[in-house]
Amino acid sequence: MSAGSIPKGSVVRDPGYPTESENYLTNSKGVLSWVFTLDHKRIGVMYLIGVTLAFGFAGLLALLIRLHLFQPEGAIFKGAEANNYYNQVFTLHGAVMVFLFIIPSVPAALGNFLVPVMLGAKDVAFPRLNLCSFYLWCVGAVFFIAALFSTGLDTGWTFYTPYSTTTDTSVIAATMGAFILGFSSIFTGLNFIVTINTMRPPGMTWFRMPLFLWATYSTSIIQVLATPVLGITLLLLIAERTMHIGIFDPEFNGDPVTYQHFFWFYSHPAVYIMILPAFGIISDLISVHSHKRIFGYRFIAYSSIAIALLGFLVWGHHMFTAGMSPLTTIVFSALTFTVSVPSAIKVFNWLATMYKGSISLTTPMCFAIAFIFLFTIGGLTGLHLGTLATDMHLHDTYFVVAHFHYVMVGGTLIAFLGGVFHWWPKMFGKMYSEFGGRLAALIIFIGFNLTFLPQFVLGSRGMPRRYATYDPEFAYLHQMSTYGALLLGVGLLVALVVLLTSLVKGKKAPANPWGGATLEWHCTSPPPFYNFERAPVVGDPYDFSNVEWDDENERYVSTEPERKLVPGETPEAVPAHAKDTH
Amino acid sequence: MNFTNAFSLLSDYAEPYAWFPQSASTFSETNDWLYNWITYTCLVFFIPIVFALVYFSVKYKKPKGTKAESNVAHNTILELTWSIGPSFFLVGMFILGARAYLDQRDVPDGANEINVQAFKWGWTMDYGSGVFHPELHILLDEPVKLSMRSTDVIHSLYVPAFRAKKDIVPGRYNYMWFKPTVANERVSDAELAAAVKETKDLGETWNYDKHQFTPDGYRFFDLYCTEYCGTNHSEMQTVVVVHETLKDLTDWISANSVRPDGTPPAEYGEKLYKNRGCAGCHSVDGSKRVGPSFGGLYGRDEEMTVGGSVKADENYLRESILYPKEKIVAGYQPVMPSYKGQLSDDDIYSIVEYLKTLSSGDAAK
Ligand code: HEM
Ligand SMILES: [Cu+2]
Repeated sequence: MSAGSIPKGSVVRDPGYPTESENYLTNSKGVLSWVFTLDHKRIGVMYLIGVTLAFGFAGLLALLIRLHLFQPEGAIFKGAEANNYYNQVFTLHGAVMVFLFIIPSVPAALGNFLVPVMLGAKDVAFPRLNLCSFYLWCVGAVFFIAALFSTGLDTGWTFYTPYSTTTDTSVIAATMGAFILGFSSIFTGLNFIVTINTMRPPGMTWFRMPLFLWATYSTSIIQVLATPVLGITLLLLIAERTMHIGIFDPEFNGDPVTYQHFFWFYSHPAVYIMILPAFGIISDLISVHSHKRIFGYRFIAYSSIAIALLGFLVWGHHMFTAGMSPLTTIVFSALTFTVSVPSAIKVFNWLATMYKGSISLTTPMCFAIAFIFLFTIGGLTGLHLGTLATDMHLHDTYFVVAHFHYVMVGGTLIAFLGGVFHWWPKMFGKMYSEFGGRLAALIIFIGFNLTFLPQFVLGSRGMPRRYATYDPEFAYLHQMSTYGALLLGVGLLVALVVLLTSLVKGKKAPANPWGGATLEWHCTSPPPFYNFERAPVVGDPYDFSNVEWDDENERYVSTEPERKLVPGETPEAVPAHAKDTH
Repeated sequence: MNFTNAFSLLSDYAEPYAWFPQSASTFSETNDWLYNWITYTCLVFFIPIVFALVYFSVKYKKPKGTKAESNVAHNTILELTWSIGPSFFLVGMFILGARAYLDQRDVPDGANEINVQAFKWGWTMDYGSGVFHPELHILLDEPVKLSMRSTDVIHSLYVPAFRAKKDIVPGRYNYMWFKPTVANERVSDAELAAAVKETKDLGETWNYDKHQFTPDGYRFFDLYCTEYCGTNHSEMQTVVVVHETLKDLTDWISANSVRPDGTPPAEYGEKLYKNRGCAGCHSVDGSKRVGPSFGGLYGRDEEMTVGGSVKADENYLRESILYPKEKIVAGYQPVMPSYKGQLSDDDIYSIVEYLKTLSSGDAAK
């Protein structure tokens, strides 16, 4: 099926395919050429492998949790230590998912690959710092795994005091891990801020940046501003454990609620580190696969910044029942509602972008549609939690568990998958099976809802979170959720298989398989190690008017009207690239 | 089977139990109303969003290479409308939520006060004049205020039927209040007797979930700890019983106040063992839990963390109950809360007598 036609007499621009010595994957060989690489694309690929392994590991732990909860008295772990094992498993699941997967997933894996290419630059501003971030990530990961295999960690990923200062498990190893991972995250953020500020090519003003870059930019700001607070908090926690400095532990005149303030001052902004890049991906996916200009570019860009800033003011909503004064509590509730506005704006803008577009239901688009559905549920249920009276009932129940899984899995993970499927041909130069990709998206969508919808009901019926065993009346809903988790697992496995088989069997990818207009589609797939020979001419990132489908070669190409090669008599006063403004 | 049950649970709209546990306090009415109102408001936005999502995906699906029908980049009025419009609903939710919240923080004059102590992993409710019990017993239609403290880590007291929850933070007192509007019935004496006998025959501790009434024969509401507090967090549960009349409540309290005349100390000691949280950490069959087992404890030589050993005689047992952090047995953590001021001399005597019955004759010499 095709309606594309390349207008007669126009010039087709297409970079073709890279030669083996240009291709960043093959231009140098051997393990060391990867270990010591400074190429942001290779670092991005290594991150992609790293976060995928972390996700696989934490995902298996999640299945273990769900299987255990198949029965009220616990189905997997038995005997005297059963509860203890369960607690270690949910702690490790949460900690690995948050610190090793979700936070670095989009910014570090996809961001590393895409930021310089979208900017038409050759690399990030500080390539060595970039490699350093990756190795810090690896060291942090080793600390986490060490914590598991030494005495096990059972504090929950939140490390609440005074439990964490008194339990005899390896809190210090794990917090050191989180501390190091924090630095990895700060360096990445710093690198992107400098890169985006200083390396934009001529013609790319702030408002001509792809929205993915806006999202990365706002994320980086949070990473740089908020993560140090986590670092300090974790150091104080270690000091409290080893030296009893008396700040968090009431036994030494400390206050446990102070710890919660410190912790959420980082961790609330951190949930925006998780979701903002996802917003960026979805904005680009919706626009490219609808082949239509993104609707309300400025509102989307500003709302990213608004979320980044407002996100710093609402941490108290994790502590509504902890015993803050009523006035503080009410102020935090009011501020919480203000963050929901910019998120809503984005959803409306995405829908308006699809309206009267020319939609291709490709795999990335299927993920983007699933994202809008799931993220909307996640965001709307935040309203039940932000409302004080209902939060008194729902706090620390499965309702909260369902809410944050809808935003973090239904939101970030789905966007990440959409992004991986979207940029996969660019990263590895191979096309995957469209049927397989869409099938995976469908199974994941159904499995996810089956897993987490029942948990909202569990929560409003009063099922507390972090319970290893539970009252029999909750069993039906827990069992539904476990079936859902298994289905979700199958869906993710299908996605992985589809991607991996494409590496072996996939067709060679053209430079622009989807019809995108941003700069990464202007270099070959995969890009040459230098990305662009010279800084490319920057057009409007959402102007699809001269992107045409070339049916014969199954690719999109940019066209431009034939130009006269001989310059006119009188030179133009304004250079050509500055003229096509809007 | 289970699936169909789950779906009927979800679809059974007329039955309020589908979404919430029974509504049994003055807060639950407000909460459920507000929760439903927020949910319906969300649906007002969600349904059109999903409709648009699906409709656009079908309607504007085009073959590759087709140009979009329109390329409108923005529409300020439309965008301002959908930015500002929903805010009215948000303000509504905020105000209604905050008002109801203030109501929950504002304890009415004359509320009955009960002191609550939370520990790893159990509860002790203090009914005054030396009466302690793990169950919370209160009076219908009377506001009750709980003054809560924790002896170790953070816990949180949650009664789903009352829609009320508050964290209990060590190092400070936190309070909460509620007014129950539904009384719990008593089961028939025959049913109670059968359950008591069954429990005794099995040699188990009372199973609230299985019987769905207390060892005194009252139906109950669940009370959970909802702040993760370590290994047996999920077992840190007890029950709330709402009595219909003051007489019924005071009868229950006095029945639990002292060792009833004629009850042998060892038998009463066993009851204290089960009721006052010992059973959470100490087994009687010799198996190691959070604390050392009571099986064969009396008369045994206990290895200390600081080295050396101590014979577990009456004085050692008494000291371990009142000052648990003084002597720590090797291989255990100093996590047990002190029972000083919470057990009378007679209570401690009864417990020690009970422990003696768990050691064989020889060791006890
Ligand atoms: C409309 C936007 C949102 C609102 C109004 C909102 C509101 C809330 C509130 C009030 C809580 C605390 C509930 C409680 O503990 O009782 C909460 C918890 C949480 N939210 Fe959101 N939220 C929103 C979006 C997000 C997003 C975008 C993310 C992450 C990507 C997120 C992740 C979380 C997490 C992880 C928790 C639970 C943390 C924990 O206790 O472990 N939320 N949310
Ligand atoms: Cu607890």
